[in-house]
Amino acid sequence: MSSTELTDTNHETVAVTPPATRLRMVPLLEVRQSVSERLRIGVYVVSLLVAAALSVALLAWSGVAPSDLGREIATTAFSSPRALGSVLVRTAPLVIAGLATAIAFRANFWNIGLEGQMILGAIFASAVAIYDIGPENGRVVTMALAACLGGMLWIAGPGLLKQRLGINEVITTLLLNYVAFNLLLHMVYGPWKDPVSAFPHTEQYETFERLPMLGWLNLNWALPLAVGLALILWWIMSFSRVGYLLDLMSSNARMAGAVGVPVAGLTVAAILGSGAVGGLTGFAISAGVEFRMTQDFFSGYLFSGVLIAFLGRNHPLGVVIVAFFMAVLLLVGQSLQVFFGVPFALVQLIQAIFITCVAASEFFLTYRMHWRQAA
Amino acid sequence: MTDTLTLSSVSKSFGGFRALDTVDFVARAGEVHALLGENGAGKSTLMNIACGLYAPDEGHVAIDGKTVRISGARDAAARGIGMVHQHFKLVPAFSVLENIMLFNPGRSPAEVAGKAQDLARQMGFEISLSDKAGTLGVAEQQRIEILKVLVAGARIIILDEPTAVLSPEEGRMLMGLVRKLAEAGSAVILVTHKLHEALHHSDRITVMRGGRKISETTPEGMDPASLTTLIVGEQIIEKPQLSKAVGPIEVELENVTLGGEAGRKGLVDVSFRVRRGEIYGVAGVSGNGQNELSAAIMGLSFPSSGRIGMNGLGDVSKRGPGYRRRHGLGCIPVDRYSHGLAGRISVTDNYAVNGAMAGAYGGWGFFKRGLAQAAAREAVAAYDVQGVRSLGQRAGLLSGGNAQKLVIAREFEGAPRVVLAHSPSRGLDVRAGAAVHERLRAARDRGAAVILISDDLDEIMLLSDRIGVLNSGRLTREFKAPAERGDIGAAMVSHE
Ligand SMILES: Nc1ncnc2c1ncn2[C@@H]1O[C@H](COP(=O)(O)OP(=O)(O)OP(=O)(O)O)[C@@H](O)[C@H]1O
Ligand SMILES: [Mg+2]
Repeated sequence: MSSTELTDTNHETVAVTPPATRLRMVPLLEVRQSVSERLRIGVYVVSLLVAAALSVALLAWSGVAPSDLGREIATTAFSSPRALGSVLVRTAPLVIAGLATAIAFRANFWNIGLEGQMILGAIFASAVAIYDIGPENGRVVTMALAACLGGMLWIAGPGLLKQRLGINEVITTLLLNYVAFNLLLHMVYGPWKDPVSAFPHTEQYETFERLPMLGWLNLNWALPLAVGLALILWWIMSFSRVGYLLDLMSSNARMAGAVGVPVAGLTVAAILGSGAVGGLTGFAISAGVEFRMTQDFFSGYLFSGVLIAFLGRNHPLGVVIVAFFMAVLLLVGQSLQVFFGVPFALVQLIQAIFITCVAASEFFLTYRMHWRQAA
Repeated sequence: MTDTLTLSSVSKSFGGFRALDTVDFVARAGEVHALLGENGAGKSTLMNIACGLYAPDEGHVAIDGKTVRISGARDAAARGIGMVHQHFKLVPAFSVLENIMLFNPGRSPAEVAGKAQDLARQMGFEISLSDKAGTLGVAEQQRIEILKVLVAGARIIILDEPTAVLSPEEGRMLMGLVRKLAEAGSAVILVTHKLHEALHHSDRITVMRGGRKISETTPEGMDPASLTTLIVGEQIIEKPQLSKAVGPIEVELENVTLGGEAGRKGLVDVSFRVRRGEIYGVAGVSGNGQNELSAAIMGLSFPSSGRIGMNGLGDVSKRGPGYRRRHGLGCIPVDRYSHGLAGRISVTDNYAVNGAMAGAYGGWGFFKRGLAQAAAREAVAAYDVQGVRSLGQRAGLLSGGNAQKLVIAREFEGAPRVVLAHSPSRGLDVRAGAAVHERLRAARDRGAAVILISDDLDEIMLLSDRIGVLNSGRLTREFKAPAERGDIGAAMVSHE
């Protein structure tokens, strides 16, 4: 039942007969067979607290006192509606990126090609904008759909190779990022170079080719789009037959196939869905933040997407929450860089601390520790 | 004799459920000690404590009279305890030698290889250390598992239901090996549901029931009936009952040919017909095409030629499992943990899949868990699945017999008109096995066509109305029940 027998290198070997005079507590590790939801959440929360404490200590050590840090967080993110607005603007594409990754991960497809899919999404959306495809009043919707299509096309190859030939998707999706990047460079240095400024990015989108403003704070429609998408995916994953069958498949694909679950179909749907949402991420940045396709709009999103999906436990609502904190971290990081001169690498280090703590906390879900008095 | 392994007043609870209640157990060097008991009696749990996978809540473990705390398999190995689990833990992509090394870290390959070869020779079998573990048959894999713990220096060897996956012939060979190990001075603990193994191949028998040890005895003066009474507390006698009413043909295989997996024979020109209201038994030594036959009927692999007809549907040989199941096929697969259940998700979710696919819990956009849960609750009660403390509990925690009952509950829901049962009582205790047989008879009596594939000739003889013999991928003979056991046995092994 448990497959940990061979791999449990963490077992402490306890001496047969330690000196009887000293009282000593020794840990005895036992493999857990089941983990209650409450324990899971408890361990997760504690690991986040530990990570936060370590991060604060690390910043203090690099010259940012905890009080300064607190003030910085408050002013950057929460001091004014405007500040909160800029956090939320930053949050929206991160949510979509996290969702794109989480969809694939739920189907056990390790999509490491988010950036490539974002680029294709932006290229397709820009093509709609540049060649004026479709009516002006529906242009932005056409762009969004085109972006989904672009992302889907980019993931279709790796998906097909995985399904048909069993070729590892980590390699194919990852390498296609570079192909997509060179395609992007080709476009912005070549046919799509901005005719106005001659800089290597596309011309600016017209107003009707941008995500409309909400008229509240400085927010545009990217945020409702992201949250709406998260809610839809939450429903699909938690309350629909599709989500139930995905759970069944990821627990035992062979059994799912044997009882007639359309395993291949559902996997393909999840892969294409992930690609489509990846393309949409590119659109959300191009049409919601930059108003054009720039040559590095995507950078860093691959890592952020994986991080957000992982910390959000592939749960759509978890993704929303983690993306929000991620946006705060990125903005606070920027201002710390400016005002305290801490390197940006520190922000990445903090992200790594969170990942490491959460990943390491799995130990407590795998093992139960019995503290015993040594005989 | 010395008491090599002593478990004293060991108790263990899982979330409020007392799986072991003050159990005493002693194994001595030089003896084969059979551990018997119903499904869920606590045998595996007790042995997991002995090999350090679980920590006891109360009581203690002693080796050679000294109390020890064992912390994990590695530590157990260092103390001379080795357990071969029912589900093998070999790494398929590794060679035999690499697998043995993995369990014996810190030793040189040459040393391990030499020792493994020596031990194998002493035990009387040949091994090729460079073969990939994944390419070996179950019996060979099991020998590697045993070698693994022997190389580590095990003197206390625990085998958890080792013969459940072996053919009768392989089982006999293992019993010979077990005797040799005991003669060489080891204490061998044999967890089993097969009474004849306890009666003919052990020196002492411990029986558990409901988490308690209820008896310790010797095989002398015991017979299958008295041992059964000891294990389940009642007498269980199964008698053959032939079909009363046979109807039209429900399922038909015509010249089905199917390539086997690498090195296997597959199926060659297999033809047979099964009518409503009859049980068609497929007898044969395992490895003669049983897995391929069952995959072809389930829809997991498509024959390269020939047809499989289902009444009213025509040829279904190129249809997947979903289609066949929608139209009335129910399957009890041979390995319930690979094709029958998803261990990491709940009992409800395992049960609900048919209903979900049929739309009983809403369309594609819905999965009404409440409805699924109610259905699962009813099924768990109707099929007497025990050990379900909550419907949200992971299915992997059910004991073998109860896991099988859950599979049957799901497969028999909706009264399938064709039932495939492949070694359905494997790993089950006498009572649970009899209950499964009763379910199969009941399915037949309500008019289903039942195909029973089993390498246990007793089971075939007990249930079948007609019997086909599978030999080297061909269906070589057919018999009508009641048939002579000897004739069937001869057909199973003949080399025409
Ligand atoms: N980790 C666990 N968590 C909860 N319950 C468990 C766990 N392990 C075993 N059980 C329960 O403890 C009881 C004893 O299980 P065990 O596996 O020891 O039975 P067994 O005698 O080996 O049965 P079988 O013959 O079917 O293998 C069962 O009711 C089982 O469901
Ligand atoms: Mg067991």
